[in-house]
Amino acid sequence: MFGYYISLALRSLRGTPVLSALMIAAIAVGVGASMTVLTLNYMMSQNALEHKDDVLYAVQLDSWDVNKAYDSPNELPRQITYRDAQALLRSDIPTRQVAMHRFGFTVELRDSPVLPFTASTRVTTRDFFSLFDVPFIYGGTWEKEADTSATQVVVLSKSTNDKLFSGENSVGKTISLNAEPFTVIGVIDHWQPAPNIHDLNNSHFAQSAKLFIPFGLHREYEIYSWGNTNGWNSERPDGYEGFLQGENIWIQYWVELSSSEQKGQYEDFLTAYIRGEKAQGRFERPLKFALSKPSEWLVLNEVLSDDNRVLGWVSLAFLLVCVINAVALLLAKFLRKAPEAGVRRALGASRSAIFTQHLIESAAIGMIGGIAGIFIAVLGISGIRHLAMGQMDTVATMDWVMMIAAVGLALIASLLAGFYPAWRISRTNPSIYLKTQ
Amino acid sequence: MLELKPMLSALWRNKASALLIALQLALTLAIISNIVVIVQDRIEKIERPTGITVEDIIALNFMAIPQNYDMTGAIAADLELLRALPYVKDATVTNQVPLSQSGSAGTFYTQPNQEIGGENSNYYNTDPHFIDTLGLNLVAGRNFTDAEIQFSDPNESPEIAVALVTQQFAEKLYPGQDPIGKPLFDGSGSNPIEIIGVVERHLGAWVGWSNAGNVAFFPSIKNTQDTNYLIRTEPGKRDQVLKALVQKLSERDPQRVIKTKVLSEYVARSYARDNLMVKVLSIVAAMLSFIVALGIVGLTIFWINQRAKQIGVRRALGATRTNISRYFLLENSLIAGTGIAIGSAAALIVNQSMVRDYSQPELTLMPLAICALLVLLVSLAAALTPAIRAANISPATATRSV
Repeated sequence: MFGYYISLALRSLRGTPVLSALMIAAIAVGVGASMTVLTLNYMMSQNALEHKDDVLYAVQLDSWDVNKAYDSPNELPRQITYRDAQALLRSDIPTRQVAMHRFGFTVELRDSPVLPFTASTRVTTRDFFSLFDVPFIYGGTWEKEADTSATQVVVLSKSTNDKLFSGENSVGKTISLNAEPFTVIGVIDHWQPAPNIHDLNNSHFAQSAKLFIPFGLHREYEIYSWGNTNGWNSERPDGYEGFLQGENIWIQYWVELSSSEQKGQYEDFLTAYIRGEKAQGRFERPLKFALSKPSEWLVLNEVLSDDNRVLGWVSLAFLLVCVINAVALLLAKFLRKAPEAGVRRALGASRSAIFTQHLIESAAIGMIGGIAGIFIAVLGISGIRHLAMGQMDTVATMDWVMMIAAVGLALIASLLAGFYPAWRISRTNPSIYLKTQ
Repeated sequence: MLELKPMLSALWRNKASALLIALQLALTLAIISNIVVIVQDRIEKIERPTGITVEDIIALNFMAIPQNYDMTGAIAADLELLRALPYVKDATVTNQVPLSQSGSAGTFYTQPNQEIGGENSNYYNTDPHFIDTLGLNLVAGRNFTDAEIQFSDPNESPEIAVALVTQQFAEKLYPGQDPIGKPLFDGSGSNPIEIIGVVERHLGAWVGWSNAGNVAFFPSIKNTQDTNYLIRTEPGKRDQVLKALVQKLSERDPQRVIKTKVLSEYVARSYARDNLMVKVLSIVAAMLSFIVALGIVGLTIFWINQRAKQIGVRRALGATRTNISRYFLLENSLIAGTGIAIGSAAALIVNQSMVRDYSQPELTLMPLAICALLVLLVSLAAALTPAIRAANISPATATRSV
């Protein structure tokens, strides 16, 4: 019976080619446009740390200006000061903890044809790789001492290792960073969270770092942040040490707390720390800090912007218009075939049989429209990549989940569209049509 | 209007289809009128005057390879070399590239040691050639001189004595007063910086910042690891200069990594998101109108076919072709009018949430009225051909098949 309905549906579609093409086009364009935007929004809402959402926390402390709260959704600065980072690092409560910021070096390899280049660098602590689940191809992270004292070692990204050493095991080799020798101790595999949840300060969809160096190198090289440095207090103590001990915020801080008990201990630790600093005249605002899960952190950083949400709603409304359009056209089409349905009813087809038959015809339109919609969406997404000028390359891609979703959406849309017309036609009174023939 | 009563009763018989069309038109109006205000807002933002001759400027960033590099010396030598190049009008050094989305900002006050009530501003550390290189318009006071440039290490706070500000920033600091000679305090410090000149307009580093246009310029050069040059060329010679640039600078000093980009590319990248919004929304609006129009065409043709007999009878009873066409166009206007009434209300309701939840611009009555008129026109245009075709149905058709 099902096969028969499908062949009936296809015959009916061929019978009214213009109307059918119109309906398929309406569904395809509606699905294509909404899938383009929804795919983008879906990719932007991805949480690369979802599997650790219960144990990882971004740390925020309110060290800001007593006269004015920080301008963020929870009124807490998104980064912390260097001196607070150093103090927090001394705690042994978290299973793992990471203090870090973005930096940049010039990279040279002696006696190599590779020209010197600049490389985005992450200055971080040794737990970075295990906390964020960054896989190593060769070697591993640095020793704990390197987080506090200057040790000239470096971990390369896969692309940097490919560029400098053609992908060979480079552990133990030496490269020059700002003309200083650094020993390669590890090479990581391709690692590109999108959005790059670990550092949402600048571009949300930027490329990951090309080099990773230990947190103990600041004083040796007078390292400043290549990300954001925000300040409120213009009393500048002298020299680089003054910068490090000052109130500028430029360090991102993450902790891994495996149980609620551990989290409680850490909250107590933070409270005690802020009280201690308050006693010394810092942290003049009311005592406030926040530990945000990765999923909360994405929201706090407004990764999915208002514009994205507007586009999402507009595309859904557009799809709705397309569906209503299809309802009207299907109604017209089915009612034109009412005599045919009348004859089938007279020959013994039940109302539900007529209903099913017409619903299957709508579903056929939805299938074809959905598949055409995928092509439109792929086209739309490549258009967005082009318009974003490379700033959305890591998120403007379509995965198989979204492809299936596209066909699913088209099917649901066309079944919704077909429901009322199919019901109308199944209610036709056969006698009227038999009389007039 | 004699036709109104039979028209209404005919519509009542086809109420589902009529309602579906009205609903489509209502949604279309609600969507398109909101799209129009957003697109208009973004286009205004993109087309804001930058105060710069964007097309003739090259931005160059270089990073020194050795750790203890003589940046101050390199800058002096490089700028001399750059300014002497053929087709180069002027060159300057700066801590940030205009309109690049990356730069420095601070809070500035009009009183020493003030802690609240400051104004946020983007600021440049640059030299006296900045104004000429970017083509800024100095409307009051004077430019700073080479002698006023403060050289400092990144850890030091230089004792800056003079500044240029934009007219917008001057007006925020000293509303209604002549800003020349007035002091400016960086943060809650106590060293006055004298405002010596005012430039008409400069947008600064961030195009999307709420304080964009608040800009201060300080005569200051820092001995950092990397820096930026801006190079203004003769009109149309930009790409030619760009080709020679890296090689000339590398020849003078190979101990660095040099990157160049034309300023227009920075600007395009800064506005990429707004541009994306404009393009995507415009395409959606166009497709929406098209789909709705096709739907109306399809449905009107269907109705006319369905009522071919009635049309034939009316024609046989003496109705003119114009009568028939007018009937269908009026019917269409009636449906469209209903749709537009519902749509206008929906548009305003949707816009309230757009303004409140997604910080989009407000929809006023004028654009709404224009959109409503457009929707009516699209609807009538879609019904026109089928209506004319209906008038061509010959009275014989009706008599034949009865």
